[in-house]
Amino acid sequence: MPPDTETTFTMELMYRRSLGPVVGGFFTGLRDQRVLASRTAEGRVICPPLEYDPETGDGVDELVEVGAAGEVTAWAWVAEPRRKHPLDRPFAWVLVRLDGADTAMVHALDAEGPDAVRTGMRVRVRWAEERTGTITDIACFEPEGT
Amino acid sequence: MRDVAIVSFAQSGSLVGTDLSETQVILPVITEAVERAGIERSDIGFTCSGSADYLSGTPFAFVANLEAVGAWPPISESHVDMDGAWALYEAWVRLQHGDVDVALAFSSGISSRSDLGEVLCLQNDPYYLLPLWADHVSLAALQARALIDAGLATEADLAEVAARSRRAARDNPHAQVSGDVTAADMAAKPEVVAPLRAGDVPPVTDGAAAVILVAGDRARDLCENPAWIRGIEHRSDPHYLGVRDLTRSTSARLAAEAAGVGDAPIEVAELAATFSHEEIVLRQALGLGDDVEVNPSGGPLASNPMMVSGLIRIGEAFRQIDEGGRHRTLGHATSGPCLQQNLVCVLEGDS
Amino acid sequence: MTPDTETDEGDVRFVRQLIGLDYAVRTNPVARAFGEALAEGRITGHRCPSCGLVYVPPKGFCPICTVPTGSEHEVAIADRGIVTSWTVLTPIQYAGQEEREDYALASLLLEGADGTVGQQRLVEVALDEIRMGLRVEAVWAPEGEREPDDRGYGLGTAITGWRPTGEPDAPADAYREHVL
Repeated sequence: MPPDTETTFTMELMYRRSLGPVVGGFFTGLRDQRVLASRTAEGRVICPPLEYDPETGDGVDELVEVGAAGEVTAWAWVAEPRRKHPLDRPFAWVLVRLDGADTAMVHALDAEGPDAVRTGMRVRVRWAEERTGTITDIACFEPEGT
Repeated sequence: MRDVAIVSFAQSGSLVGTDLSETQVILPVITEAVERAGIERSDIGFTCSGSADYLSGTPFAFVANLEAVGAWPPISESHVDMDGAWALYEAWVRLQHGDVDVALAFSSGISSRSDLGEVLCLQNDPYYLLPLWADHVSLAALQARALIDAGLATEADLAEVAARSRRAARDNPHAQVSGDVTAADMAAKPEVVAPLRAGDVPPVTDGAAAVILVAGDRARDLCENPAWIRGIEHRSDPHYLGVRDLTRSTSARLAAEAAGVGDAPIEVAELAATFSHEEIVLRQALGLGDDVEVNPSGGPLASNPMMVSGLIRIGEAFRQIDEGGRHRTLGHATSGPCLQQNLVCVLEGDS
Repeated sequence: MTPDTETDEGDVRFVRQLIGLDYAVRTNPVARAFGEALAEGRITGHRCPSCGLVYVPPKGFCPICTVPTGSEHEVAIADRGIVTSWTVLTPIQYAGQEEREDYALASLLLEGADGTVGQQRLVEVALDEIRMGLRVEAVWAPEGEREPDDRGYGLGTAITGWRPTGEPDAPADAYREHVL
């Protein structure tokens, strides 16, 4: 019986995605270091913005600015980052409800260790040095006061 | 509604890093399901399959998979890029048309060829989540934390679910992970993405499963204990985690209500609880009391072939009626990050 | 993945994403046996024990009868056959393109097989002389340069191309059922 053999290959797919006014507006804001959110007819502020109200299904097109800092509503600690993760050192995934928003954003939090992270802690955006209009214009979040 | 029953179920068992083609994995499973039903392939009036080509990295693999069905001369078939439970749902809908009586639902997944932590990122929205490569374990860990923070579960509860799954799996010849373990053993496992530990995360499994559905009296002719589908529904939550209350599953609750879960006591529930804490969320959402036996097969924590795990849950719920003498059981399937979409299937035997 | 947008000013309207996924596929036992025979200069197929149809490359089952096949069903296939269909490709010079001149790929019905093998290179023939029914034979790569297609889709690099044998063309009845 010959030894097992294995074929390795990489499949690459290039996408060019249209963004529309809501997601495009949000990304334009990030590029300019402003965080925008969508506001539903009932006044619920959704960040990052959705193009619809998840409660009613109605379309949403009004964008409002929210703060670049907020509160952690849930977190998970990554001791060994994967190669494509936003940070190459141990970090926390966080859900962050930004000041003025009613919903939370998923992103990475650069923290010293799991003991430095807790639900309810204040964090703020750390902007990427080069911003091109993507979610990674937010390089990550960092604890407020650092 | 037309009465439709499951009369036959077969599964490949947990394959680990298989060197077979996906079609080769599927072929004997369909053959076994057909033979158990006591029919010929030519009796099947409609076929629906579930799979995802991203798993094996083979474009149009789902077309090659049809070679396992016997698709020449041409047959009536369809495909969903979903767990096979949704293929079963489509087959059930098709049987409601009334012009065919027998349907085959099957699904397959070869997860070992890629890195699920990257491939499953492609099920996330491409604008806010995909660029972060937030993998499925990481997102599940956020949900587990939300549950713990809300006081709805403890890490010890998660360890208890993990240990019970492994112990239950000892009686399941198709399981991949099993053992006489305690919650303390599971609590001592290393953290993968905290608060989830190794025991809270499913194994990587290759496999396939197939179910034969038959409408009306023909089901009784073919099967001593057909499992009638008394209710089957699926519902979805918004995709983005940040707009959901992660401590509960609204979509699972709505699907359960629509499927009539609460109309009579459920004896056994097979839940596609891929991570330990999901069982706790689902028990609450589906309204299952402590007297309901959950995942006697060991569930996805014991064997988790992607695209197949949900169909296996329904198949195991069928086995509880067909072989286990139960009267009313439940099979559940899920899709998307953190239980985004949920399917509930309520089965009843004649006796 | 490298997110990138198209404009540095004005509203952001599009995002580009390059998604790269890595795969490792263990060689299928049927494909492995097929590749080993090719390395020895032999083409093999599987004959369905139920309907008798011969598949090249073998799949490990008959998709019509849905029965498995194995080494016990292996049969020898000639390294010669007829062109059932073909196309001439004009290579566009995109990054990574190695072809420079127009070339032809054909579907071939090999002697002993019941189905065609696709995308086979035709050599030593003028492009305007290719036709259905043209009889061809394999030009084998030197021993040691015959790499299999481990995923079981084709003939790998064992055969560099197929050249006309010079015999009279096969009659239309020989390929009528195999033109697609």
